[in-house]
Amino acid sequence: MQPILALDGVSKSFAGIHALKNVSFDVRPGEVHALMGENGAGKSTLIKVMAGVHAPDSGDIRVNGEKVRFASPREARAAGIATVYQELLLFPELSVAENIFLGHAPRTTLNALDWTQMRNEARRLLDDLDSHELDVDARVGSLSVANRQRVEIAKALSQDARVLIMDEPTAALADADARRLMDVVRRLRDRGVAIVYVSHRMPEIFALATRVTVLRDGAYVGTHDIGDITEAELVSMMVGRPVDQLFPKVDAEIGAPVLELRQVSYRDEVEDVSFTLRAGEIVGIAGLIGSGRTELALTIFGITPATSGEIRLDGKPIAITSPKQARDLGIAYVPEDRGLQGLIKTQTIRENLSLALLDRISTATIVNRARESSLARELIKRFGIRARGPEQRVRQLSGGNQQKVVLAKWVATEPRVLIMDEPTRGIDVGAKAEIHALMSRLASQGLAVLMISSELPEVLGMSDRVLVMNNGRIVAEFDRALATPDSVGAAMMQTQDLAEVA
Amino acid sequence: MSASSPAAARAAPAMHPMKRVAAYGQEFILLGAIVALFVVVGVVNPRFFGANNITNIFAGNAYIAVAAIGMSLVIISGHIDVAVGSLIGVLATISGTLAVNGYPIWLAWLTPVVIGVVVNAGVGSLVAYLRIPSIVVTLGMLSILKGGLISVTAGAWITNLPEDYLIAQFRLFGIPSPVWFMVILTALVALWMRYSGFGRTIYAIGGNVEAARVAGIQVERSTVIVFAIHGAFAGIAAVLFATQLQVIQSTVPPNLELTVITASVVGGVSILGGTGTVIGSTLAAILFAAIASSLIFLNVSAYWLRAVQGLLILITVLADMARRRRLR
Amino acid sequence: MTATLRSLLRHETILAILLVIVLAALATQSDRFFTTANLLNQGRLMAEVGLVALAMTFVIVTGGIDLSVGSILGLTAILLGVFWHNLGMPLPVAMVLAVVAAGIGGLVNGVIITRFKVPPLIATLATLALYRGLAEGISQARSVRGYPDWFFVLGQGDVWGVPTQLWILGVLVIVAGVILGLTTFGRATYAAGANETGARFSGISVDRTKLLIYTASGLVAGLAGVIFVSRVSTTRSDMGTGLELDVITAVVLGGTSIFGGRGTIIGTVLGLILMQALKNGLALSGVKGDGTIVVIGLVLILAIVASNLFSREGDG
Repeated sequence: MQPILALDGVSKSFAGIHALKNVSFDVRPGEVHALMGENGAGKSTLIKVMAGVHAPDSGDIRVNGEKVRFASPREARAAGIATVYQELLLFPELSVAENIFLGHAPRTTLNALDWTQMRNEARRLLDDLDSHELDVDARVGSLSVANRQRVEIAKALSQDARVLIMDEPTAALADADARRLMDVVRRLRDRGVAIVYVSHRMPEIFALATRVTVLRDGAYVGTHDIGDITEAELVSMMVGRPVDQLFPKVDAEIGAPVLELRQVSYRDEVEDVSFTLRAGEIVGIAGLIGSGRTELALTIFGITPATSGEIRLDGKPIAITSPKQARDLGIAYVPEDRGLQGLIKTQTIRENLSLALLDRISTATIVNRARESSLARELIKRFGIRARGPEQRVRQLSGGNQQKVVLAKWVATEPRVLIMDEPTRGIDVGAKAEIHALMSRLASQGLAVLMISSELPEVLGMSDRVLVMNNGRIVAEFDRALATPDSVGAAMMQTQDLAEVA
Repeated sequence: MSASSPAAARAAPAMHPMKRVAAYGQEFILLGAIVALFVVVGVVNPRFFGANNITNIFAGNAYIAVAAIGMSLVIISGHIDVAVGSLIGVLATISGTLAVNGYPIWLAWLTPVVIGVVVNAGVGSLVAYLRIPSIVVTLGMLSILKGGLISVTAGAWITNLPEDYLIAQFRLFGIPSPVWFMVILTALVALWMRYSGFGRTIYAIGGNVEAARVAGIQVERSTVIVFAIHGAFAGIAAVLFATQLQVIQSTVPPNLELTVITASVVGGVSILGGTGTVIGSTLAAILFAAIASSLIFLNVSAYWLRAVQGLLILITVLADMARRRRLR
Repeated sequence: MTATLRSLLRHETILAILLVIVLAALATQSDRFFTTANLLNQGRLMAEVGLVALAMTFVIVTGGIDLSVGSILGLTAILLGVFWHNLGMPLPVAMVLAVVAAGIGGLVNGVIITRFKVPPLIATLATLALYRGLAEGISQARSVRGYPDWFFVLGQGDVWGVPTQLWILGVLVIVAGVILGLTTFGRATYAAGANETGARFSGISVDRTKLLIYTASGLVAGLAGVIFVSRVSTTRSDMGTGLELDVITAVVLGGTSIFGGRGTIIGTVLGLILMQALKNGLALSGVKGDGTIVVIGLVLILAIVASNLFSREGDG
């Protein structure tokens, strides 16, 4: 069958950095074509090229065999290509029906919006998606994420999309919702819609996809029929080398317990979590997005203080109610969202590096600029931050160097416990290895490290122990020796079954 | 297609009456508050129901409701205008000056509307294209208009207004024309906001600018248009204000911008943008006028009026924030 | 020299050059301008706006705004009169209590903004009406006069030949400059304005910082209110109307970004002097008070346009 949408030799670069290098991709009516790759592999850029957000620097886009050039997302939509982005683009104050039809609402003969028809059509579209209980008059702001996603999909369908691009649609969903969404995808596929499906969840890919294409570092790696490839082969295509080589984990002497959690809960997001973290130990937390991993970190760090349970530091019970308090107790948190939570991007490297320890380099609250500068220079050297100097603004640095600034800033506070949330998200392979080496070195110096990551190879490669979370709980624990992709993956599957029963 | 399945064929049920009440919650609350106020004050002091007082409440404050219509559009789109009082003062003076100097009456009526559109389109352009926060632009405009007006006119009275110019004193079926203006314009704009593409565009921009952009809405152009429409309503309000009495004082009516903003915000237009209706703002304008009037009949000093106004805004905004947090 | 300092100095240098040009132009245009008496008098006139502008710089650096300062000034003036005249308190006690009340007014702003997450613009717009309303309601349009002579030292007197309030302004300029420029609190202020979430995740108490800043804004508005009363010898409820315009103009003219994260006290002081020079110059060349308001409004808009274009270039 002829592809409905085909990209041929597409390249795109931003500010001299290649985001896509000569990538080819196509999708046929009635198939689900999975697009895979690690963070920063170029999936998002490829999606945006297809959706008309970015124009490619070179290469062709064909719709039904005809060469096209999209000047705007609107033109791509007119050509039948709809996109459901990860960050849902909805209007919280408007109703479900209106969100679905905004910009292309049915009109009456007087050219007024036809609300009756709009509501009926919305009803029909949602029923098609098996969402009978979703009220077309509900305000979108009051809906759950899963329901918002259905609204977003209905919106795409309302414009007669022939190609539907879905960017990690299940990332923020609980398992039951994710399964319902997969049913919707199958139904659309059977109806002849061509679906481009981006996901990190292997089981989903194998359950849904007809073909799978892998990107790595902005380059095309290969396309396979799903029946011709195994999960292990897919991983090695994505990673590009054997997993062991990537993670320079050195054995460190594991010391006394530093951080202990006893039945810690935060509302229903973190439930009954207990574990012990020892000096010199790296504990990895695996789990899907939305499983409560980040929520656990935020609770330990005092952003969302625990609603029940006990946290002990060096055996003494402590109550952490604010990040300031957590910091003063020696807990550091390298957050998930570097740009928003980790850095003040408009400020200089020096200002960012000193932000968490200003009290220590000031006398009578007056900041000692000389000490601050020498501290910054020392950290830049120690962490190998590639910058013109301490006065360069952080936003001018590459992602990897920005991440090193965040890490340096927290290590400089001389913490006892270092929590790292997605420490290598969206940074290039070289910088990744450097971060991993740093992490390993810090642990060997006696720091207790808690690492959260969506990348299973990273969790397996770096951790002394692996905890698996789901639905806010820790559901499995593995020692390094026993933690294999199969065992941890199986534990994650098992937890899905548990969730199903629950 | 699964159109054959019975579920897919079913039409959306008609909106449940309770849902309608909930959707227009603020409007019903305001209506209730107005009725309650009238009853209570009327019982304490029956003279509150005097024909003069009722006319004063409705006809004398209709121009505020009209200005609040435009203000509501601006706030729904996510902006604010603190210069509207000064603009009305300037436009009223221009209108009156044209009228006494022998220009055609229609020109005296139309000119303020045109100038209002032009001035606010300029303000809107600064906000939309140069990305200057609307509070700063309009704060600047406030002083330019206010200072300009007083330096030119020294606050002089404009007298000898021609009789047929005084449109606010016309009556149709015994009802003063400002009330007609208020009711008809409110109804028209309410319908337009609900049934026109552009009306929904305003909500979209105020609700989520990024999503609006992705939906293909020209955010900048639409913002300028919203400000321009607001200018037109300021023009109409200015004519109604100018023609209320036989004379016009060429100054800025004190506190007018706050009264107009109060009407919009208390009427349920969320200060964070994206929601609200002009029916609410008109009801709120009436409520506020009734409160002002009732202070007199309850023997409370009118000097407390502004404190009441501040409290009203504060309570409404806090309630709005609480509502948003509940929904999250 | 550091890059930050360079970029800041660039704005302040431009401002300083502009100031010199304006002063030179005024000096040549009117021989009454460059006299010690006139300059000191101008200093006296700008002290109230200046005091409030210092705190407003902090407010705007956090990305907020405080529209209620004029109303707080008016309310303080009325309370001063009421405490002293109607309640019979000793004047010094009345002065302190009035300023404390102003601080509470600022604290209320801070609580509404940090605790209830109301945007500063609308929170202080509401309290602008509320505080002015309280001033009007309490005063019932009656003014209080007849203060003892010693009280006028504050607003009309001199210390070593320089107006008293100019000394106060000078001291507070140094205090504010040190706090914003050199202390951990200043760093917290900049961080909160540039990226509130990032600041919080770095262990900075953003809410406490803002609460202190809005309270300080109320306190200096109160102090300015007492000085105002002393300068004009009477209390009226409409005192300080429109003050927020002058204050915000001075701060923005001084290079503080209305979007937060950027600004200095030196800039604010330069902006303040430039604005006062402009006012004085216009007055000397025969423009009446209302005409100068027009110019202030224009300057505010132009300053923002310029700083927006300027900062967008720098963002690259």
